[in-house]
Amino acid sequence: MYKKLNLIGLILLLVTSTLMGFGQNIANEEWNQFRGPDRNGISTDNITNSDCNGNNLELIWKQEIGSGFSELLISKGIIYTMISEKTDSLQGYEYIAAFNERDGKELWRTKVDSIYIDEDGWGDGPRSTPIIDSENIYSLSGHGKLSANSKKDGKLIWQVDFVVDFGSTTPRWGFASSPIIVDNKLIMEVGGTESRAFMAFNKSDGSIIWSDGAGNASHDSPLKVTIGGQEQILFANGSKLYSYSSDGDTLWTYNMPFRGATAMPVLIQDNKIFVSAVRNPGFFIVQISNNKVTELLTGSSMKNDYSSCVYHNGYIYGYHVAAVRCISAETGEVKWTKRGFGKGSLMLVDDKLVVLSDKGKLVIVDANPELYSELATVQALEGKSWTAPSFLKGKIYVRNLTGFACYKIK
Amino acid sequence: MKLITKYIILTLILTGAYGTALCQELDEIIQLHLKAHGDLTKWDEVESMKITGLFTAFSEEDDFMAIKTKDGSYYSELALGKADVIEGFNGTSGWTIDPWFEILYPRELNRDERNVFKQKAEFFTPFYNYKEKGIEIELIGKTNIDGIEVFEIKLTRPSRYKETWFLRADNYLEYKYTSRWVDFTYGVPSETYFDDFRDFDGMIIPCFVERTFSQRDRMLIIEDIEFNVEVDPNIFVMPRSKEIEDIEFMVGEWNVAVKAFYSRGNLWYKVDSTESIIQFESTNLISEKISFSNSFVQSTINNFTFNSNNNNYRISSYDGITSNINLFDGYKTDTTFIIENAQIGCDSTFSLNSRISYGNITVDTFEAEISQSNDNGETWNSSLKLKYYRKKEE
Repeated sequence: MYKKLNLIGLILLLVTSTLMGFGQNIANEEWNQFRGPDRNGISTDNITNSDCNGNNLELIWKQEIGSGFSELLISKGIIYTMISEKTDSLQGYEYIAAFNERDGKELWRTKVDSIYIDEDGWGDGPRSTPIIDSENIYSLSGHGKLSANSKKDGKLIWQVDFVVDFGSTTPRWGFASSPIIVDNKLIMEVGGTESRAFMAFNKSDGSIIWSDGAGNASHDSPLKVTIGGQEQILFANGSKLYSYSSDGDTLWTYNMPFRGATAMPVLIQDNKIFVSAVRNPGFFIVQISNNKVTELLTGSSMKNDYSSCVYHNGYIYGYHVAAVRCISAETGEVKWTKRGFGKGSLMLVDDKLVVLSDKGKLVIVDANPELYSELATVQALEGKSWTAPSFLKGKIYVRNLTGFACYKIK
Repeated sequence: MKLITKYIILTLILTGAYGTALCQELDEIIQLHLKAHGDLTKWDEVESMKITGLFTAFSEEDDFMAIKTKDGSYYSELALGKADVIEGFNGTSGWTIDPWFEILYPRELNRDERNVFKQKAEFFTPFYNYKEKGIEIELIGKTNIDGIEVFEIKLTRPSRYKETWFLRADNYLEYKYTSRWVDFTYGVPSETYFDDFRDFDGMIIPCFVERTFSQRDRMLIIEDIEFNVEVDPNIFVMPRSKEIEDIEFMVGEWNVAVKAFYSRGNLWYKVDSTESIIQFESTNLISEKISFSNSFVQSTINNFTFNSNNNNYRISSYDGITSNINLFDGYKTDTTFIIENAQIGCDSTFSLNSRISYGNITVDTFEAEISQSNDNGETWNSSLKLKYYRKKEE
């Protein structure tokens, strides 16, 4: 009888352990939006030191795809992103496109807007990263057209034009905010007139569910966090940090000590928000409790320009202007700094940083506050590489201005 | 009281001793720093350097070339994103051609920029011959940056611009310095980091230099250095704008014959002989002073510039008698230089269009024909001709 109970207990323990992953995260099944499934630049996959040792970064494929900065989304063997193609020196189109994950070959593309030409020469084409759900892909063009297309074949389902329909002003360097889905709402920073700075659209037909706020569209994207059991949508717009419920009610606002944060806010330790900008003072951390905001820390040891940080075990890793840096989330103390990456990007897998320099050097770094330690490195791409890497099932997907590549950790 | 006096004396002695010790330590650090840069006798023989490598701005890497001379001159060609930038500095003043300012001709450097070029022109370290250069230095102490133990040294240039240098305590090479830099001509704080020190024929030079200022990031990777290259001193001289050079034929001192047209007789009559001085004022400005008599004496100052925004010449003509200021737009062909009234003068009632055609251009002569139009430029009636004869040196 005891043996039987023990056996049942063991089976139950195994099942429970498997479900709970013995305290480990369940690996992501897809990389479905800007900065990954939780929009925090973190993959819940596992990689070990031995996976990386000996420069075990193997090129699987590399393809030219067309100009753009959108991150790469991966789901069920398909890569989705936005691209552009010029028809002459001043004209062309932006596309939503799908590629075979095995070889990077294009499966389909659908025109969504005319191409955004960057007058400063930083790079043409889309800036925003789309988001996918089970059926569709939702994207924002550089000129501000929000589109829903079928994931299957790219067929257009609906489209709204921020400039024409909501009076938005195209930001310098184009619309760059990436959409987020909460429930069935597609929530966006629109920058429209008449209290249409922030809007929620019915993802099925593009109809407006709510709109609120004043201010132009920034280059930042909304972030969903859950604080104290309450779902909140954060917008770092202009000189304010806004929190909305998914129904469009303002939960709280906070006057940031700088304007124009481009890097994403980062949730740390369940109820704290870290926001950084390249302008002084550099960063702040606030604590949210019952929708009350308390400033905890302001510092200059992390100044994000357009690349966002990740939080891991009490430390923040990110680009301080153009150097990769680790700081304490408690004190802001600099733990280490590594130069030579330019204004690149990074993400976190397990306890490893996947760092991409602004010129395409891919480095796996131990996310260890005590020591900067490179585990593997490869010149993954050439030229301007401002798009953050994506990670799924042991593969790293990287993009430069005109092409993309897939690397496998052996 | 005696006790206090003794204490003060003791404090002064100790402070003085500490100061002397710091001075000694500073001298020693500087000597070790210079030694770390290689054979000083070799450095003493270097008169010029040509540096080539790769320069990264806005994440775009491109070729870089700079020439430095021992007397503090500096010239470089580099790319800032899509724009090719050329800059020169003669040790005191300098210029830059930087399309980011939407000006395609050279412009003079301001005070903050000159301070930047003083830094750029340093041969390899500002501590080399620092006393001769009028640089003051002070040891602040030891500190730690990025986990590296460094000596912190305050440096003050003769212009009173200050820098802080951090020399590694383990090898005395520079790790970092902070200084005033410029972002779109405005002074901003900067941080510069050095790495990848390499041996060039016994001289040690950092081949990785990264600088951040405001949100900017600039990275220089030195690939090669040639020493004692022949340097044409003219490269440091501010060039003139190409378009201003195109009307250089006007520059000089002139005798001018003035003729007026009398429609009754359909004839040109000489009405005056006068003089004109036309000279370069700056890279994009030529000015003329002329006074001549027709019915009454006209004293004018004419300023010729090139407006790169509109891609044409812009000329202002100030009449000292009537106080009228007229603006003209102009264009140059192979044989003539024509300026026309742009109808944006101070006198809003002005309705007569004017035109001056500069033609019959030779090395020593040219002619300016002044015409008016009453029909918005459909037809022109010539009224004056000014024939310029270059004055010969006696």
